Amino acid sequence: MARSLLSGYRVLDISSAKGAFCGKFLCDLGMEVIKVEPPGGDDLRREPPFAQGRSDGETSLSFAYLNAGKRGITLDLTCPAGRNLFLDLLQRVDVVLESSGPDYLEKLNLGYSVLTERQPKLILVSLSGFGQSGPYSHFKSPDIVTTAMSGLLYVSGDPELPPCMPPETQSYYYASLYAAYGVMLALWRREEQGKGVHIDTSIQASLAIHEHVAFTYSAEGKLVKRAGSQHQHVAPANLFRCQDGYIALFATHRHWPILLEIWEDHPPELDDPRWKTDTERRAHADWLNPLLESFTSRYKKEELAHLLQKRGVPGLPVNTPSDFQKDPHIQAREFFTSVTHPEIGEYQQPGVPFTVDGERPKPAAPAPTLGQHNEEVFGQELDLDQQALDHLASEGVI
Amino acid sequence: MSAQSTNQILKGIRIIAFTNAYAGPYAGRLLAQHGAEVIKVESATGGLDTFRHFGKDLDSSARFIECNLGVRSLTVNLKHPAGVEIIKKLTSCSDAVLENFRPGVLTRLGLGEEELRQVNPGIIILRLPGLGEKGPKSWYGTWGFNLTAYSGMTYLWNHPDQPRPIGSQGVYPDHLSFIMAPTLLVAALLRRRVTQKGVTIDLAQAEAAAYALGVSYLEMSVNGKDPEPRGNHHPTAFPHGCYRCQGDDRWCVLSITTDEEWQKFCRIVGREDLSASPKFAGQEARSKHVSELDQIVEEWTQERSPEEVMKKLQEEGIAAGVVENGADLMEDPQLRHRNYFEHFPVSSFGPMEVPRSALRFGGMSDDPLALPSKLGQDTEAILKDLLGYDEETIQEWKKEGVLD
Repeated sequence: MARSLLSGYRVLDISSAKGAFCGKFLCDLGMEVIKVEPPGGDDLRREPPFAQGRSDGETSLSFAYLNAGKRGITLDLTCPAGRNLFLDLLQRVDVVLESSGPDYLEKLNLGYSVLTERQPKLILVSLSGFGQSGPYSHFKSPDIVTTAMSGLLYVSGDPELPPCMPPETQSYYYASLYAAYGVMLALWRREEQGKGVHIDTSIQASLAIHEHVAFTYSAEGKLVKRAGSQHQHVAPANLFRCQDGYIALFATHRHWPILLEIWEDHPPELDDPRWKTDTERRAHADWLNPLLESFTSRYKKEELAHLLQKRGVPGLPVNTPSDFQKDPHIQAREFFTSVTHPEIGEYQQPGVPFTVDGERPKPAAPAPTLGQHNEEVFGQELDLDQQALDHLASEGVI
Repeated sequence: MSAQSTNQILKGIRIIAFTNAYAGPYAGRLLAQHGAEVIKVESATGGLDTFRHFGKDLDSSARFIECNLGVRSLTVNLKHPAGVEIIKKLTSCSDAVLENFRPGVLTRLGLGEEELRQVNPGIIILRLPGLGEKGPKSWYGTWGFNLTAYSGMTYLWNHPDQPRPIGSQGVYPDHLSFIMAPTLLVAALLRRRVTQKGVTIDLAQAEAAAYALGVSYLEMSVNGKDPEPRGNHHPTAFPHGCYRCQGDDRWCVLSITTDEEWQKFCRIVGREDLSASPKFAGQEARSKHVSELDQIVEEWTQERSPEEVMKKLQEEGIAAGVVENGADLMEDPQLRHRNYFEHFPVSSFGPMEVPRSALRFGGMSDDPLALPSKLGQDTEAILKDLLGYDEETIQEWKKEGVLD
């Protein structure tokens, strides 16, 4: 039962890289998501990394992760026959998810007003770099541009080096999660009021709430700057060397006296009462951090994390992906899930990060191969027979 | 304006919030922003929100205000039996409980899942434990900062070949959790329409962070080894990165994927001599000369402002942008166009502008955000008007320290 948190709702996902994570999250919430690709395949199929170094359209790991659990059909929305099939399918869906940029659907005569003629209660979610209108709305907006223009890049990385991008395409992911909230709100309104809506999601605006970058300037007149992992207000709160890696250690005024107890042979000057205040320690973090590292480097990272946690000091190891996956805690929680893909083979992927009544919803299936569910979807939903499907395929519509 | 045309979609939904610091409160704020009545429970004896301590008094922390906009305030000492009774009564007329305390805290207070569900079988419980409610390390203390490290994100958030991990001072896992939480809560409300039953949802913040690193985890699983940090490099765009501009700590980004874009770029930067160079002809060739490309780009950008770089390149259809800092964001014409900032001329902190939302709902007005209630401001009204307690009882409880 846990799997069906939102069963009964259906999404047509015509988005590409920008919106794929939204479709994935909706899928993990239990909605039925049908991924609609152009007959040549989604661009994401050509994005590395690839399994076994093969880039044949079925081995992109980006595509495999972001589309796991979706069903997949091919459809050329730019030709009249494809457009008509799409409009026919609309009667059976609740949500259309798109990320093609402002005006694209209008140019295909598939704008929101046209779609609602077929499905009056339709929820259309648009994801784009800067939103559907405004001075930057037609800017090219790959992940690095929206990450930069949201403020997140400026505060990320070592102050001695250029700003550093977070891993993967976080701006797309974050906006996708934000858009999923929009979908929930729109569904709730539709259940209460019987109305659909067009939601305009801006990737830039979704990330610009982050880390108080804008707000700190507005409220305090301060520019938040890059500081590596050094916390703005707290010290020691940084990464510290251990025998086999690093630990992320966070000690406020509450934890500081305990930390000194654990660090039995700490330099006597640290007992000075001035170090009890967060501001004093933070102001002298450059002096304090190397001292603390002389202590942390006596331990292995797991061992030290456990030792600190037992006394209530929040330390956690800096894990590589394989450290995290092998962690006994993560193993015991059965977070990772095994997937078998016809081309990639068997692999482990992060599961759904929440439980429902104690049960973790399991992703149902690997990502679809190109056009895998054409017969199933067009056949069952639109009553097209094999002959009709063959004809559409030969015309390049599906 | 009719009720239907505003974005107050969750009007009529009541949520009890046991929230602290960032992820929990911000999730509550996002629900309040769309009309839910969010009642935050705190206690001067039992514990106040950490962010309250960042201001000149408990109601003047800018950080607290930002994370708790539109939220009501109820002060109840949960260590007193009458306090627990009050929360149970409130639960009986609420839709959901949102909490980000450490696992087990509410259960020990007599307000666990079972007790709450007994009072109200329809109640939705949404918890945001750092490492999950169960498992050998579920009792570990976590903050966004060390969850970033634990999830693998800090390791991957680095330039290539660095001697140490660098990561970010930020608390990205909090951000992931606070945007997933309201989605889960409304999903549970939708489910309840069908089943008439509440559910308990636990969102483990460390797992939310790893969920947003799925491609790296797949890579690790398929290739049998950890992926390397990639910094500002991209597997299919050359050049692609963050480049120094004129001024102090000013930067721009740009990304070139096609030959056509590369030719245009050479023309714009006045390096037609490079157009014909076989070294840079085609993506494959450019991918082998990344550091040389980066140098060429930076020679041009460092003589210009990031705004000029963005304008010149975007006009020609090349992806580029300003690495915006806090001041840039406040002046960003695109964000202004979206009416992105809510202006508060007066608050207990002082005048300020706060980011609103990434979402615009067609045909609906964005209702103004409200400031949070002052600490305990709504206690009497909630006890009297909503829960029906009489004046005498309330005065008695005040004396006994139930409502601190």
